[in-house]
Amino acid sequence: MTPRFAIVGVGETEFKRGHPLGLDALVVQAARRAITDSGLSAGQIDGIVTSDSHPPHDEIALAVGMASRRFSAISPLIPGAGPVAAIVQAQLAIDAGLASSVLVTYGTQTSSPGGPYAYHAADPLKADLEMPVGYYGQPLYFAAIAQRYKHEYGLEPEQLGSLAVAQRQWASMTPGAQKPVPISMQEYLHAPYVAEPLRNLDCCLISDGAAAYIVTSLERARDLPRKPAVIAGVAAGSNPWTLTEMFTQSPRFLDIGPGDAGRRALEQAEVALQDVDFAEIYDCFTMSIVLQLESLGFCAPGEGGSFVAGGRTGPGGSLPINTHGGHLSHAYIPGITHVVEAVRQLRGERGRAQVEGAQVGLVSVFGGPDHATLILTADR
Amino acid sequence: MNLPDYPPRFDSQMVRPYWDALERGEMRLPACSVCGAWQWYPFAFIRCHAEASLEWKSVPRKGTVFTFTTVHRGFLPNAEPKLQPYVAALVELDGISGVRIPTVIINSAGPRIGMRVRLAPQKRSTYTLPAFEPDRGGG
Repeated sequence: MTPRFAIVGVGETEFKRGHPLGLDALVVQAARRAITDSGLSAGQIDGIVTSDSHPPHDEIALAVGMASRRFSAISPLIPGAGPVAAIVQAQLAIDAGLASSVLVTYGTQTSSPGGPYAYHAADPLKADLEMPVGYYGQPLYFAAIAQRYKHEYGLEPEQLGSLAVAQRQWASMTPGAQKPVPISMQEYLHAPYVAEPLRNLDCCLISDGAAAYIVTSLERARDLPRKPAVIAGVAAGSNPWTLTEMFTQSPRFLDIGPGDAGRRALEQAEVALQDVDFAEIYDCFTMSIVLQLESLGFCAPGEGGSFVAGGRTGPGGSLPINTHGGHLSHAYIPGITHVVEAVRQLRGERGRAQVEGAQVGLVSVFGGPDHATLILTADR
Repeated sequence: MNLPDYPPRFDSQMVRPYWDALERGEMRLPACSVCGAWQWYPFAFIRCHAEASLEWKSVPRKGTVFTFTTVHRGFLPNAEPKLQPYVAALVELDGISGVRIPTVIINSAGPRIGMRVRLAPQKRSTYTLPAFEPDRGGG
């Protein structure tokens, strides 16, 4: 398909554990920066898609100076899927003439009381069946998945370690990354276990912050000062089980997507996996990268561990992954910071972390049973 | 090894029979009253038959470890951040398809996937935790 839409502006806040600003202020700050970066005036933005009901649309729109809010929507898919699936809604709105340029935002404060785990504690069935036996906390969920994977296919500590080490290298070349100091494989192998076989260095960060981007037509994008990141393909999907059941009852325990959504996005973009120059893959844990690479078809089921080993995903590797350090080392603002990084790579703005000749980037994200895949390209 | 002590909140009224049975040292699970398919977890609506209700049935006390993880960090709101590790696991009961019981494995030096286990209920502050232990044969 001939691409018709592009991402033209990206913005993000400072990321840290325990940010003094509230969530409203963080989201507004990221949105203002995205608008400035786009070269559009705030008055030209007339649509908004958020990935959460908070902060509300009216507050964001007035704070950033949107003159007219003709289209407003929430992407209900669970973050990290929501902040990428929002593009589907933005495109539909522009295509239908409901809006011309759409602001997409997402912010979170996982350092707040209860941490990122509180999200699951709010589920009545988890509170009543899982918490009483201590089956609780995302690291435990993914450790149980990793243990099962290890049983079925084999998994070496150095394979997951290769991802953790590579992402610290990328983070060391990324302004604003929360963990900018590189680590060695020896340090990884001596890091304490959180839930075996996962160590603390396999887990994403605790972050407060927000990010935002602007979607508009490719035609309009070409009149703006910066190089557009062309939306060549985007698809959302979901697995047939609920978030409540996913981590204990899923009949396909090692399937976190994106499966069919990945294939649809690649088909739309008329891009083959071997054309992908770099990828931003949702990394709540190292293990989740392994499983998505298999689902996308980069390697066969069971081969993901050996696929990522030996620094393949790091600087100079044959498939650079999470080139800002990802959620493990840059910041954990689920999904959206991966979009921001992909746009910057395609613009050629990444300095020492620039992937040479970056023309095609793939973003894969999920949240619970929901997932989305985005293919961005340089303008051709 | 320590054991979690975090009582069910009973936010979902559907789970009462599960915990009541464990108080008596039994395990009971819900099934569709029309076709008998296990309904685990017990959602408020039954997917296979719209007009059905849940029937709680006694199930075997023995099963197999599907997966496990030794947990070194406390995530429960009342857990110490540095805790004595415990083994969280999912157990599949004999003859009960499509059901995994979230649990803790006790009395095992080296848990592994495929290990045979049997129900070993453990009293906690206000509830009975459905722990499992290695089944070394016999009753």
